[in-house]
Amino acid sequence: MSDARAAIFGQLRAGLGKGDATARRAALEAALAQPPRGPQPQRPADLAARFRGRAEALSSTVDAVAARADVPAAVLRYLGARGLPPQAVATPELAGADWGALSLRFAAAVDADSVGISGCFCAIAETGSLMLLSAPETPATVSLLPETHIALVDVHRIVPTMEDAFALLRTERGRLPRAVNFVSGPSRTGDIEQTIVLGAHGPRHVHLILIGS
Amino acid sequence: MSGASQAMHFKARAGDKLADRILQGALKKAQPLFTAKRRKGMASLAADGLDFAAMRAAAQAIRQRVLDDLDVWLEIFEARAVAAGAEVLWARDGAEAARLIVELAQREGVRTVTKSKSMLSEEAGLNAALTAAGIRPVETDLGEYIVQLAQEPPSHIIAPAVHKTIAQVEALFAEAHGRPQLARTSADIPKMADEARQVLRRDFLAADMGISGANFLIAETGSAALVTNEGNGRMVTTLPRLHVVLTGIEKIVPTLEDFATLMRLLPRSATGQDISNYVSLLTGSRRDGDLDGPQKTVFVLVDNGRAGLLGGAFEPMLRCIRCGACMNHCPVYFALGGHAYGWVYPGPMGSVLTPLYTGLENALDLPHASTGCNQCGSVCPVGIPLPDLLHGLREAQNARGLRPPGERLTMRLWGWLARHPRSYRLLIRLAARYLHWLGDDDAAGRRIRIFGLAPAWTAGRDLPVGPGRSFFEQYAARKRD
Repeated sequence: MSDARAAIFGQLRAGLGKGDATARRAALEAALAQPPRGPQPQRPADLAARFRGRAEALSSTVDAVAARADVPAAVLRYLGARGLPPQAVATPELAGADWGALSLRFAAAVDADSVGISGCFCAIAETGSLMLLSAPETPATVSLLPETHIALVDVHRIVPTMEDAFALLRTERGRLPRAVNFVSGPSRTGDIEQTIVLGAHGPRHVHLILIGS
Repeated sequence: MSGASQAMHFKARAGDKLADRILQGALKKAQPLFTAKRRKGMASLAADGLDFAAMRAAAQAIRQRVLDDLDVWLEIFEARAVAAGAEVLWARDGAEAARLIVELAQREGVRTVTKSKSMLSEEAGLNAALTAAGIRPVETDLGEYIVQLAQEPPSHIIAPAVHKTIAQVEALFAEAHGRPQLARTSADIPKMADEARQVLRRDFLAADMGISGANFLIAETGSAALVTNEGNGRMVTTLPRLHVVLTGIEKIVPTLEDFATLMRLLPRSATGQDISNYVSLLTGSRRDGDLDGPQKTVFVLVDNGRAGLLGGAFEPMLRCIRCGACMNHCPVYFALGGHAYGWVYPGPMGSVLTPLYTGLENALDLPHASTGCNQCGSVCPVGIPLPDLLHGLREAQNARGLRPPGERLTMRLWGWLARHPRSYRLLIRLAARYLHWLGDDDAAGRRIRIFGLAPAWTAGRDLPVGPGRSFFEQYAARKRD
């Protein structure tokens, strides 16, 4: 135990003047098991429409396909329209599917990768955000280093709020991965004369492919 | 206390800043943009059926709940962060924090450090400490990068280079990137941002250590929460083999739900966004089988004056979530810019924090750098009564005998007069006549051109004067008629 820690806690406890940290800790830890929510926004009637509207307002582009089998064609269409070659780095969780004419490398991204393709754990209608979890099959760099990030979003995985996303995370995973990243559109900066520029350090383009209806 | 404070020179700096035309132009351009952005954010809150007052009450309650048991919340955070694989270090002040980080960097053979914005790094004077140890710190937030090139401190907590014009940024880039200077207009801003992206990408990939702040520390999960738009926060916390989180001990929030509530207010209050582009929760370090992420994560939790505020009159200041709304709505901030304040934090929150963290006697003017308009208090998302805290600091200055003798005497006389109505009325009658006598009539009415008792008041304008009789006299005369 460092001197600094002891000094800081000594001063904290002197200021609070509450005593018995053990009992207080037990009470607060017990309360953590049932975390209450704050004021909640109105629930949109159509989650997918709300998500799509918000994502587009954040300068993401959005496509929609009926089924997972339609995704490779949608990716090829998007890359073709942007004049990009049919190749990308993709998260290993996507390795099982048939990607047709696309040439994919399933790995963590490196600087030379210009397109990264990932799924998402879920998506949030309130803010048009993707929730990405780091894991061996979903490395965080795929949605970070390439100039273009293509994300696949199953419409059944769109939840109303961040609280709903956390509830899903607790149910399905139990604990937090190293990194939970909420991604809301291409990276941006306003640091020169408050002028918004897309493509600061992260992706310049975020393209979402909604799957299902 | 470290990070040398210049806050004693506020008045002298204020004069310089008022005379700086380039700065005044930049500030004039920025202010309406800041206030319009927050208005937009508040409109989107209302469109979702959320009431600002109710949201603020909830956010304030979350932050206050943390302060009420801060010792225990920190214990819970520490235990859970360690259980998730992170290391937690403690620092009493900025100098100790800088020493811990420099020692860690030396032990680990670090040569280049990439940094995501951390105001605590400014409190600690960390860049100077790293540089002195032969370690290269690279600021990667575009605004921070600009002020690092200019060898200046940030002038705003969320827009560090708000005081710089395009031409000034262009001059810095041309020199740092070894190219001729070009004529730039706002149409060139994307090119300039791209240039910084190319340069900084090399540093992101080469750095051995990433240092970030934390917008919040989540007790439930032992996580650091990081909110950025540029993606530099993600780079700094993903690519280097070491990640250091440098932040203050007051940044705890209990649960993920509490974090979600605060996230409905923080970006909207700061930049008017419903959500920032990247919101990351970082828990421990690289897990078994992970293909990326740092191998080691170290929290450096810093006191630097915070613990001493608990249980006292200034405790509400510890609720601050560093959104910048108070400075964005402050007439004093936009008259002078952030550098006039002389230490790390500008604007109303800085005028409260600087004397508290660096000593009342070292920032005598700051509690007076207020018009009392309470715009700051009305926009604060965690209900900090900033004008009341500034008044409290003035009282504390007075109690410690830190005000000039003339001012103290004047205040004592005023206090006596206010409690003795007969003497007060007599004095006011005399003063009204004296002021009337001092004035000269002209087309605009009767005015005093030079007022000898307070010449600064009439240095740039005339003082209009009344009819030479006090309110009471006039009232009594009208009642008789």
